[in-house]
Amino acid sequence: MMCCAAVTSKSERTGQSRVVLRTHGLRKTYGGHKVLDGLSCELHQGEVVLLRGPNGCGKTTLLNILTGYLEPDSGTIELSTDNTVDRMTFPRPWWKNASLFDHFTPERMAWGGIGRTWQDIRLFDSQTASDNVAVATPHQRGENPAWATFRPHAVAVQERENMASSRSNLAELRLAGREDASAGAISLGQSKRVAVARATRAGARVLFLDEPLSGLDGAGIADTIHFLEKLVELGGLTLVIVEHILNISFILPIATTVWTLEDGHLKVESAVKVLATPSTERFEDMIQQSQPDVVSSGRQELPGGAVLSTLAVSLPHVDPFDLEVADLVVRRGNRIVIGSEGLDGAPRGLTFRIRPGELAVLHAPNGWGKTTLLEAIAGLLPIESGEIRLNGRRIDHLRPWERARLGLSFLQSRNTLFGGLTGRQALYLAHVKDIPEGIESYLERKMATLSGGEAKKIALACAAQTTFFKVGLFDEPLTALDQKAVERLGRELPDLLGSGALLVAVPSAALH
Amino acid sequence: MLIYLDIYVVVAISLNLVVGYCGLLTLAHSGYFAIGSYAYALVTLRLGWGFIPAVLFGMVAAAVLSLFVSLATWRLKGDFFVMASLAVQALILSAANNWFDSSAPVGTWRNLTNGPFGISAIPKPAIAGIQFDTIGGVATVSTVLAGLCVLVTWNLLTSPWGRVLQAVRDDELAARGLGKNSRLLKVQVFAVASGMVAVAGAIYSSYVGYIDPSIASTDFSILMLCMVVVGGAANFRGPLVGAAVLLAIPELLRFVKIPDAMAGQLRLMAFGLLLVLLMHFRPQGLAGRYRMDR
Repeated sequence: MMCCAAVTSKSERTGQSRVVLRTHGLRKTYGGHKVLDGLSCELHQGEVVLLRGPNGCGKTTLLNILTGYLEPDSGTIELSTDNTVDRMTFPRPWWKNASLFDHFTPERMAWGGIGRTWQDIRLFDSQTASDNVAVATPHQRGENPAWATFRPHAVAVQERENMASSRSNLAELRLAGREDASAGAISLGQSKRVAVARATRAGARVLFLDEPLSGLDGAGIADTIHFLEKLVELGGLTLVIVEHILNISFILPIATTVWTLEDGHLKVESAVKVLATPSTERFEDMIQQSQPDVVSSGRQELPGGAVLSTLAVSLPHVDPFDLEVADLVVRRGNRIVIGSEGLDGAPRGLTFRIRPGELAVLHAPNGWGKTTLLEAIAGLLPIESGEIRLNGRRIDHLRPWERARLGLSFLQSRNTLFGGLTGRQALYLAHVKDIPEGIESYLERKMATLSGGEAKKIALACAAQTTFFKVGLFDEPLTALDQKAVERLGRELPDLLGSGALLVAVPSAALH
Repeated sequence: MLIYLDIYVVVAISLNLVVGYCGLLTLAHSGYFAIGSYAYALVTLRLGWGFIPAVLFGMVAAAVLSLFVSLATWRLKGDFFVMASLAVQALILSAANNWFDSSAPVGTWRNLTNGPFGISAIPKPAIAGIQFDTIGGVATVSTVLAGLCVLVTWNLLTSPWGRVLQAVRDDELAARGLGKNSRLLKVQVFAVASGMVAVAGAIYSSYVGYIDPSIASTDFSILMLCMVVVGGAANFRGPLVGAAVLLAIPELLRFVKIPDAMAGQLRLMAFGLLLVLLMHFRPQGLAGRYRMDR
């Protein structure tokens, strides 16, 4: 067991400050697999912690325990965001579980000043952005139905104040003008900021952020980092940030401490001592590191600030399979997502072609429509006009499963696995003949119990190893993957390209 | 007709609070309706209470009972909750059927419900000495009460309480992470909805003048659910539309002068067909925005 009383080093900001959260001897076991093995840690006020570790090491488990979503098997958690200490000891005795008022729940941790954001954001989609923030405000009289019914005036007065300050919260985050937009309709970058505003509004003193940068383009990353810095400096918040390998180099400059979770223990280092891994924000760089004979072969500017850059690998043999998209227009509601409105009002479509043996990387800013484009090609969304050809054959009238049988393989960025199946069953269902190496240890577990990275690896195997594979459409294939998995994808690339072509969509890289 | 519309509207908006906003499918709603009716009938007949205190008594009785049920089903969700609500429904139905002893007068502790024979001669509403004996009078009272219920519901749903309710419906885990006590919220919703449907029950018994255990039946619960689903769950207009549509179908059948025996069968067929068509073409309900299958 390791003890963190002797935290090696902290920046001046956290030098003398008090402890807000302390855990001792946390253990958690999943089906015989020790995820946390007597983990102890200390969080100081104003600290910015980067939590990292390989896939499946238990980052999310730790986050869920510290925010009240998961009960540890044993250990203690001490919460002292205000001057009192709330000490929770596990396992909890049965009489506490029988009581109505003493539970270990997210709401209890929230009342104690713990907040969190999710990787998949989880805003309340049917409400506006400002309602999303306003709803988080604690101690609202109007939340008592008796007050709301019998003292509507008092409630209305408090509600007006609440709305006004929620809107000014949003304005501080450069979201003025978007307050009344429905949370389901605002862009990814904006909704991530709304989520942080919501969590701080609920009174969070310690904020756990699960991949706050994933899926953001360069501008969005810069905005978010700046905002997080301000939260710590002006608001005195404590942050714990879980971030993916691709984006760690953006977090390190603002981090004071780095926690590395491995084998159920935490290694605590000062952030200054941790060297940023070589900057690998660009997908191509990442691939080229593990596959040096990839050469850049072309670059096409697409409308709306997106770039389609193509890479070629010299291969002895390439199956002649290509993907051609001509004059494609896709609408969502009345809005043209793919294609643009011409001067005469008629929509002009998107045109590009991916040749056999090519790897095309689509860099597009958030909200450009990457996912929409891939879903339209895969047949999950109807297209308005234009043609999609696979190897010269028109496929735009075919059903999604017919396109898949012709060799179009789609990897979605969201986790769309079947939670009730085991990994082996999912691979079987996807017509995968050879089980790829490195995933055997969790093949027999249900998909719903896997960590984000493990699930992604299985999804990737389903998409890349299917016997139908000719042309792959991969939407952000690297999110949630660790360094090793990224390297393996790089090694497998020639095989993939040998049987056809690959279109990969990633957010535009940061502007350096 | 107007009275029935009032009753259906109150029933539908109260059930919508539970089914639409909490996402908990309950089959016990007609049980609370029956509690409202029986409570009203008993206190007016036996104790000679006026209309308003009797309605309030029914509301409180139903709301208090819902608290006990809420505590017992505290942790249940999904199918298990449906089973639990079915149990509550069966309990109320069998109480209405079996709390009965023919040797004792109706309304005493030995013969509270008069069993399958029901309670008859329930007085029409009388407020502050004014008797509302005519159909028009009862309609006025019921419309005022229904309007009040609609107003209270509207006010609640647009208040911060309603906003928390929507947040919990959209994403319960996220709402709990913000410190919102979703369980307490569900208990509150149940109490409000049960109290409200008890009002509908009281209007019903005062208008018809006779109640028997069939009002606590599962069929009636399912009819109530149909109103919400047909109209569109989890929004304000939906149940209003649903109540009107389900009331209109039997009236239309009566209008085309089909023999009664056949009309009864046709009505059931029409309900079934309507539900199937809606599920297929408009899963969010006639006036709804929120899809039940999401």
